[in-house]
Amino acid sequence: MAVRPTILSLKSVRKIFGTLAAVDSIDLDIGEGEFFTIVGPSGSGKTTLLRMLAGMEQPTSGDILLRGERINDLPANRRPTCMVFQSLALFPHRTVGENIEFSLKIRGEAKDKRKVRALELMDLLRLPQAYYGKNVMKCSGGERQRVALARALAYDPQILFFDEPLSAIDYKLRKTLEKELKDIHRETKKTFVYITHSLEEAMVMSDRIGVMREGKLVQVGTPHEIYSSPTTRFVSEFIGDVNVISVDVVAGGRLKSTSLKGPLKGPVLPKGFTSGHLVIRPEFLRFIGKASEADNSVTGRLYNEYALGSRIQYQVRVGERVFIVEKLRQQMFTGKLDDEVRIGWDAKDSILVTD
Amino acid sequence: MRRLSQLGQGEKAAIPLLLFLLVGFAAPLLAVIWFSFMPARTFSLFAMPSLANYATIFESTSYISFLWSLALATITVILLAIICYPVAYGLVRVFGKWAMLLTLLFTIPLFVSENIRLYGWVLFLIKNGVLLGSLKSMFGVELESILFTRTAILLGMVYVYLPFMLFPLTLGISMVPSETRDAAFDLGASRWQVFKEIELPLSMPGIVIGFLLTFVLAVGAIAEAKVMGGQRIIPITHDIEIAFTYAQNWPLGAALAVLLMLVVGTLVLLALRRFDLDRFLGRK
Amino acid sequence: METKGQRVRHALITAWTLAVIVFLYLPTVCITIASFTASRYFQFPIAKFGLDWWDKTFNSIEIRQLLSTSISIALCVTVIAVTLAFFGALAFARYDWKGRSIYQKLILLPIFFPQSVLGLALLLWFSMLGLQLSWMTAVFAHLVWIVPVVTLVIAIQVYSFDPALEEAAFDLGATRWQVLKEVTLPVLFPGLFSGALFAFLLSWGNFPLSLYTTGADTTVPEYLYAKMVAGYTPGVPVLGTVSTIGAAFLLIGGYGLILASRRAHQSASE
Repeated sequence: MAVRPTILSLKSVRKIFGTLAAVDSIDLDIGEGEFFTIVGPSGSGKTTLLRMLAGMEQPTSGDILLRGERINDLPANRRPTCMVFQSLALFPHRTVGENIEFSLKIRGEAKDKRKVRALELMDLLRLPQAYYGKNVMKCSGGERQRVALARALAYDPQILFFDEPLSAIDYKLRKTLEKELKDIHRETKKTFVYITHSLEEAMVMSDRIGVMREGKLVQVGTPHEIYSSPTTRFVSEFIGDVNVISVDVVAGGRLKSTSLKGPLKGPVLPKGFTSGHLVIRPEFLRFIGKASEADNSVTGRLYNEYALGSRIQYQVRVGERVFIVEKLRQQMFTGKLDDEVRIGWDAKDSILVTD
Repeated sequence: MRRLSQLGQGEKAAIPLLLFLLVGFAAPLLAVIWFSFMPARTFSLFAMPSLANYATIFESTSYISFLWSLALATITVILLAIICYPVAYGLVRVFGKWAMLLTLLFTIPLFVSENIRLYGWVLFLIKNGVLLGSLKSMFGVELESILFTRTAILLGMVYVYLPFMLFPLTLGISMVPSETRDAAFDLGASRWQVFKEIELPLSMPGIVIGFLLTFVLAVGAIAEAKVMGGQRIIPITHDIEIAFTYAQNWPLGAALAVLLMLVVGTLVLLALRRFDLDRFLGRK
Repeated sequence: METKGQRVRHALITAWTLAVIVFLYLPTVCITIASFTASRYFQFPIAKFGLDWWDKTFNSIEIRQLLSTSISIALCVTVIAVTLAFFGALAFARYDWKGRSIYQKLILLPIFFPQSVLGLALLLWFSMLGLQLSWMTAVFAHLVWIVPVVTLVIAIQVYSFDPALEEAAFDLGATRWQVLKEVTLPVLFPGLFSGALFAFLLSWGNFPLSLYTTGADTTVPEYLYAKMVAGYTPGVPVLGTVSTIGAAFLLIGGYGLILASRRAHQSASE
């Protein structure tokens, strides 16, 4: 991937409310034209961070630099950035056209030029031209999303910010819009900074992802890096169900679990790793006949199975523990519930993380 | 005609109140309207209806009182709009957790009888009262009291009707979602542009109610003129009262009242015609 | 975003609001001060302080009669108003029925109406019906404008009432009456309480309607008005202060109760 020039730079940015540090010293560089998503649970500070970047809040300390220039003191209405809000914040008393043209109207652009631009954007976002004069509240949820995006793009901002705009929509529409957003990003070539609580959503659209927890950036990387090489348990548990085993390093550099009998064969030990967790994603566990068929194995009881569309998830109870195994539908397990089963995984398919 | 038991729950619940208002509000007003067409100085209901009373009004000085009432009410509304808007804005967007306490403070005077509060102004403004007395004793300055002037009446009216402008305005301003305001800023609008394009149109329901309520109540004011204004201005309500009591001329009083009702009724009808009360009062 | 311009603006707004509050309470303060003079006439600065007039007022039989009249009217108004308004508010905000939006506007009419004209209209109406004017006709008059106000107050609470609560109770086997008693009334209680508070205080302080419809009976506001217009009487500030403090007390107390019950509910459901 070509190295992009940095467009937005955060240096030790902090935001403190009373005694609480909502954003606790964040350093980040976002490349021009990148689709960067900040992922985190509610209360992680991601919304506060985004609002500071957009100019709605001021950092308590630290600098925000746009192409090298400090913009902390620049108010939102003078930053060359635009935000798509969670509630969309469309102007309910105006039509689709008037909403889209708003930023142009207040900058004094002529009526006909505004209309041309608005129709251009409506085309890009696949809104029928006939909607130009339609009151915005009469449009459907998906259409309103498009109007909000068109409005934000109208005056050609350098960066677009997205505050979880898809979180209140139903599943099917959301999936469609996620892909469309990625397409629009590609067509407009602008920098998108997006926040969401769903890592799944982030992975669909982003070039890079930053995972945030309690005000700090825990890991930054490509979707593949976040998924396959999480650095902490928190990040690894952020997507889907994972199997997590607490382990300590014993003599000889080998792994021992506190709850499973016998030695474990794990991946290469990271430097300085003495204790932490062994993470195995469900798709890397398989049902085996004999212990020798995999590096590690345990026996348990098949407790339940869940159909998840193209995959089937199996819950296997090993003593007090629960293991989750996933298989593609075409390769589903033929055993019955309450059968005794043996599951196993290979050392190379597991990851070691710290807390 | 559906049987009582077949009516829906909504209709059933509405009946007690509607009946009460029929007997207590609609009926008296209809009586007044009917009376206005009766011959002057009589108490009978069954004479020949005529417009004599209305003619009398326009030939006498009563229409001056009427104009004064309208003028006072209009000025009161304008003054209160200017005074209350910043306060309403503050209650919604500035004061945060103090807003509840402040609202309570603004509510308390509503429940104290207006003539008591007006009397307090009398004590404040009268010669040797709180204001002039302190000025005299502290600075040796002797000023004329503004009591019993037109200014005093206006002061009284602005004072009494303040909450009726403040609360609807507050409700109206709170109807502007803050994210919508933020979006306008973010798109580059200046402070003034955000106000003109977003805040003003979206808070219009509150503004309309505030103006309407204040005007209608102010046009029916009577205590302010009497207590604070002496006899400087005779509002129309005073004329109505005299007609009903001292002059024993119910038909004339009724006619005057009908004129007032016409003004009020027209305004209310125009303003509330397409008003969505559900959205205004906070239907989820 | 906290720019310097915004901070200046906020400071100005705060200063203005405080000025308005001072303006609002100035007369009340004056009356309270005046109630503490011992002299027959009002002069500021006060020469002689004393509680003489407080003494005289509370021992006066005439005053006691006034207080009892005002309180009786207010209590009757409260009970009837809350009952009528409860059903009125349900029709206003809870049920969807044809004619609801016209109904809403009809209910509001007595509020958007000059009170003195209403009072005179009722005077005429009562006389036409041959009714003797007394404190009972005053109750009726008060109700005409107070019931719509209370309906609005309760309706605001009804708007956030979740109809699923009633449906759940019904589904569990309750009769319509039981649903009303066990679910609707308790949940709406804060709204009913506020409504009762409003009804009492609005009736207690009302002047224009009482003036024309009480007949021989007199309420506190009427008495005060008569005295005011006649000239200065030291008893007036005393009674005025009592009236104000009583209203403030009831309002703050009622409000405090509502807040406390809301907090109790929240901690119970956590």
